[in-house]
Amino acid sequence: MNGKALIQALNGVYEWVDKRLHVTDLFNHTAGHPIPKSSASWFYVFGSATLLCFMIQLLTGCLLALVYVPSAAEAYTTLEYLTFRQELGWFLRATHYWGSNFMVGIMLIHVTQVFLFGAYKYPREITWMSGVVLMLLTLGLAFTGQVMRFDEDAYWGLGIGAAIAGRSPMIGQQVVNFMLGGPIIASETLSRFFTLHVFVLPGSVLALVALHLRMVLTKGINEYPKPGQIVRKETYDKEYATIIKKEGIPFFPHGIWKDLVAASIVIGGILFCVLMFGPKGPLGEPNPTQIDTVPRPDFFFLWIFAIAALMPDYMETFMLLVAPPIIIGLLFILPFINNTGEKSWRRRPIAVLSVILIYLALGLLTYLGQTSPWSPDMKAWSGAETPREFVEGRSPLELQGLAVLQNKQCRNCHAIDGIGGHRGPDLADVGTRLTKDQLVRQIIQGGGNMPAYGKNLSPYETDALVAYMVSLHPKGELPARDSTIPATPAPLSVQEGEQHEAVGAH
Amino acid sequence: MKIAALSLACLSAIALSGCDIPGRPKKEDRRPEPHHVTDFKTLYSQNCAGCHGNGQSVGPVIAMNDPLYLSILPKEQMRQIVTNGRAENGMPAFALSNGGSLTNEQIGIIVDNIYAWAKNPPPTNAPAYSAPLGDVARGAAVFAANCASCHGADGQGLKDKAGSVVNPAYLGLVSDQYLRTITIAGRNDLGCPDFASRVPGKAMTSEEISDVVAWLASHRENEFGQKLAPAQQ
Repeated sequence: MNGKALIQALNGVYEWVDKRLHVTDLFNHTAGHPIPKSSASWFYVFGSATLLCFMIQLLTGCLLALVYVPSAAEAYTTLEYLTFRQELGWFLRATHYWGSNFMVGIMLIHVTQVFLFGAYKYPREITWMSGVVLMLLTLGLAFTGQVMRFDEDAYWGLGIGAAIAGRSPMIGQQVVNFMLGGPIIASETLSRFFTLHVFVLPGSVLALVALHLRMVLTKGINEYPKPGQIVRKETYDKEYATIIKKEGIPFFPHGIWKDLVAASIVIGGILFCVLMFGPKGPLGEPNPTQIDTVPRPDFFFLWIFAIAALMPDYMETFMLLVAPPIIIGLLFILPFINNTGEKSWRRRPIAVLSVILIYLALGLLTYLGQTSPWSPDMKAWSGAETPREFVEGRSPLELQGLAVLQNKQCRNCHAIDGIGGHRGPDLADVGTRLTKDQLVRQIIQGGGNMPAYGKNLSPYETDALVAYMVSLHPKGELPARDSTIPATPAPLSVQEGEQHEAVGAH
Repeated sequence: MKIAALSLACLSAIALSGCDIPGRPKKEDRRPEPHHVTDFKTLYSQNCAGCHGNGQSVGPVIAMNDPLYLSILPKEQMRQIVTNGRAENGMPAFALSNGGSLTNEQIGIIVDNIYAWAKNPPPTNAPAYSAPLGDVARGAAVFAANCASCHGADGQGLKDKAGSVVNPAYLGLVSDQYLRTITIAGRNDLGCPDFASRVPGKAMTSEEISDVVAWLASHRENEFGQKLAPAQQ
């Protein structure tokens, strides 16, 4: 058989299949659909990159499910088995973990780009709204996925989630029961979250992605916005048709290559993180009697963690139950609030400022969530050492004061020269800020977010503690002085002596 | 595209090969339950270093790597101290059975490893670790001979040298045994000499130490400034 005949035969097969499956038709309406030439831009790759991450999650998730047992008794063991014993189990877990991080990150870039490029405006309202639901589903996947890694973080994270749900007025208890499958975190809880994470949420994502892509195909991809090009309901459809007619190019192959390059960068990025940083955890066992932990959510929820820790008491119910529906509602109806007009971010200062403000707030809160200075360091009292200059040259009483400072766990909240907890002020120079009497009052009565320790300290312990703290002032700096008492000659001579010392040091 | 595919293939090859990959979890990354931690360094740095220092840093109370201290304190006694604490000195009890956080096995690991720091056998003239209180009047003379040069003739401390050792608050926070241990071992890390080097060529005897501790203890007062009778050991 010569070449020509072979091609003819293959063509015949193709036509036979095409006549029945309408592959050409499908291609022309999907990958081959025309897009504005301006949209074949590097800014437009983030949607497909998010989808790629989702596909990686599906694949790695299926493989993980072969080993993972979603029961409270066995989940942790199977996680350890996957991480330390199963051949390449760690690689699978790490890919799933970093895939989720990349998915949330790239999705946020996609949402921001769509917002800044005005792509949510007429006639793409449903595209945007389905995107908002997809974003919530993705965050839901991230949260339920964190529960799948059933370690101490997951356990306490669930506890906090249940506590938030329990605040719902009237039906709090019922909501908690529904969420946890009972009043406490148990096997039923893990089954529920497994079902959500593996069936309900990914299934919903697939359905919503279908709608989202269908909208992209039918309403067309947003053209690259130009300043001054105003969207009007009456004229937009015609204008878009003209753009497609004049400078439309088929998505395949003219648009898709950038998506493919982006895809390989994303895969490379995920692989890099997998090989360099590996999987996360599992941390300690999810043991409710083990309270010596500092549970912390994954990075995409650190900002919520920070808000929850920092907001004043009276705002808690509002921030936890009222604010989220308002924010989500606003996002959802955004296309109706701002349906037409300018698309280009160059002419939408409020949009740009909102993005900057939101990212600054999220970034700052994430940073605070990561460092969480409000959490006491529960091991500092017995583990935080004291730098030499804060021990040397002290009298026996002052040394006993430092021992009391350690034993009474002051270090858990107060660092000395940065070592220790950061909930309260650093004590390295407390002697320059508070006088002896002020220190006694503060320790005995507490105040300013510090508990009163009067009942936990004997008078001698207080004496020693205060004597030590009074000694905490940098060389050359005077100790704090009661301003109502005029300086006596003795402190003046000390002052002179210390000044000489300071000058000498220079 | 080719470059991307090639780098992908390389990365996968690295992942599949057995070579050392930073991301691959190692056995020691496994988070043991707190009661299963058996690494001495971890246990010491989490439980002891805050007060006793770690050898490089100094703490408010005696350093655990002080060879003299280790040579006079029987190992079993240290195990008891760590297990039950010393309420009179503020040393907390670390055993789980006493409300602490360490198992008996962990306490054993800590004590064994601390004693691995002990370099020398006790000096032949080393005073006994504990002994009954001696004579107050003799103690005053011993203090004047051995301690007054830094702590002052009356024990109230000398400016730029050393602080008071007769301050009632200080004496109220430390036991007679604590005073004895410090008198024997000193605080070499903070410049306070041990029993053998206070007066060159004349080491303090066990009796002299008992006497000086009795003299120090005689300065104890209650919170209202009333003198307390020295407690008998």
